[in-house]
Amino acid sequence: MTQTSAVRLRGITKSFGSNLVVEPLDLEIGRNEFFSILGPSGCGKTTLMRMITGFETPTAGSVELDGKTVDRVPTRQRDLNMLFQSYALFPHLSVYENVAFELRVRKTAKAELDRRVREALALVRLEDFPQRKPSELSGGQRQRVALARAVVGRPAVVLLDEPLGALDQKLRKEMQFELKRMQREVGITFIYVTHDQEEALTMSDRIAVMSKGRVLQVAGPTEIYDAPNSRFVASFIGSCNLIDAVMSSADTVEVAGLGPVPATVTGGFATGTQVVVAVRPERMTLTDRPTEGSFAGVISERVFLGDEWTYHVKTGGTELTVRVPSGETSAALATLPEGGQVWVSWPTAAGRVLPADDTTSPSLIGSPA
Amino acid sequence: MDRVVAWFCRLVFVFLYVPIVAVVVYSFNASEVSYRFTGLTTHWYSDLFHDDRLLATLRTSIVVGVLAALVATAIGFLTAFSLARFQVKGRAFFLGAILIPLIVPEIVIGVSLLEVFSSIGMQTGILTLVLGHIVITLPLATLVQMGAMAALDPSLSEAATDLGATGWITFRRVLFPLLRPSVLAAFLLSFTTSFSNIVISTFTSGVGSTTLPLRIYSSLRTGLTPELNALGTLLVLFTLVVIFLVGVRQMRRILA
Repeated sequence: MTQTSAVRLRGITKSFGSNLVVEPLDLEIGRNEFFSILGPSGCGKTTLMRMITGFETPTAGSVELDGKTVDRVPTRQRDLNMLFQSYALFPHLSVYENVAFELRVRKTAKAELDRRVREALALVRLEDFPQRKPSELSGGQRQRVALARAVVGRPAVVLLDEPLGALDQKLRKEMQFELKRMQREVGITFIYVTHDQEEALTMSDRIAVMSKGRVLQVAGPTEIYDAPNSRFVASFIGSCNLIDAVMSSADTVEVAGLGPVPATVTGGFATGTQVVVAVRPERMTLTDRPTEGSFAGVISERVFLGDEWTYHVKTGGTELTVRVPSGETSAALATLPEGGQVWVSWPTAAGRVLPADDTTSPSLIGSPA
Repeated sequence: MDRVVAWFCRLVFVFLYVPIVAVVVYSFNASEVSYRFTGLTTHWYSDLFHDDRLLATLRTSIVVGVLAALVATAIGFLTAFSLARFQVKGRAFFLGAILIPLIVPEIVIGVSLLEVFSSIGMQTGILTLVLGHIVITLPLATLVQMGAMAALDPSLSEAATDLGATGWITFRRVLFPLLRPSVLAAFLLSFTTSFSNIVISTFTSGVGSTTLPLRIYSSLRTGLTPELNALGTLLVLFTLVVIFLVGVRQMRRILA
């Protein structure tokens, strides 16, 4: 590889006492990449991030920034900044002084400092009140100040710890696009830690999905969504039907009560292995009469969500969730009551065969896309 | 019902402030007998400023109060800072040990201090007074500052470190400015505690180091003079000025 990556983790691991928080993992994050670490709370994502910043010392393994090992470099000398979940703005300093903090510490010349602070404030669109105190700002504005403060020194990497968590729904959506825009504008590697799959899918170039201290999959948003490699990834990102099945031959899967189901087999599972077939609810088709390869079922519940209907259908011994966009519901289907007879089908490409148990999934090494 | 509550509140305020108002009023009373008001005079104030013995005790109290408060605030700051920021082993023990003087009756502390001082052959005087007052003000100074430090977001110092600040710069530019109000509060609380103390002073003062409260207390036997009312009025005035100055600073900070 000719170009060094912005961040490279080698066999990095962390345990607190006997509690293994981050299992040994390798990870590479490219320059100018928007990289998300996605996982539920307690999965080790924050610890992983704090090892990159240097706030936590890894139990083993090493961290490289821009091709250089920084294991012995203290946080303040690492070429990265962090955006804290609580923003951690200095309450006694004005917006301007908060943003100027790093430049003052590094003894930047006055004219240069002023220019760069104004530039950073312009980037986050907060030029209007540099003299206000953080307590006089709204949550969204505080976050912008924190972001300006993090990028003013032009670090190679900015780490963001659930930065949108404290904002309301509408502001979150706006900020997602803003963050992405700013990241492109300043050309800095963003490492974005979140438990919100939507945030990760919207903004990221690549996503690492973590669970219980392990990185399960590293891939782009579409691949993560369309081709999850494990049960956890399939169910954590979006909603997914996970149907218990058995390999009846090298390339066919059978579900008890339904028989063979359409699915793409990629793992090389031995015949007789317990697996799950993952099918996204929106990839399934619901009809009021049998079609080729469809499975008969009964509507056990249906819920109107505005832009779509969610049907729960009982087929064989399995309960399936099917999503139908409101506009596409046929008149015949719409009149069917709960308990009505329906048929469910999905294309072979929509069904993915995954190991029944996540602990058997292969360990992963991410490399820049 | 609301009116009853309102009247009750007024009554409480009357109860709190009548003694203070009485001191101020009687300090201008021409009569030497306090319950008879015979006319206005500033006579007692000039008496006060010529009473060298009384002024000497005032000076002793101020010196002892300032010294004790400075030491207690400093030690309290360091204690609170380390207990709040570091994983100190035996933390509960330290905390308990510092706070115990708050619970132990002052009279017991006074007796023990005197015993210790005399057993090591230490003459009672300003130094022993200061030491005694540190014992009782240290828990207060520590408690006040611990509250402020616990309320400080730990990610603030991480943020400063992350932005390139050394430990010292983080302390000077971020932590100390945020803790300054609590340091001031700890100092004032320690000073007033020391300034008004009688019990500990009784045991730790020596010849020539009588504090103001001791002097006033002992003059009970010979009878309180209106001069003391004048002194009391001046102290109330001084307190009001301090409160006003602190208040103005706080208001400025809020408005800034």
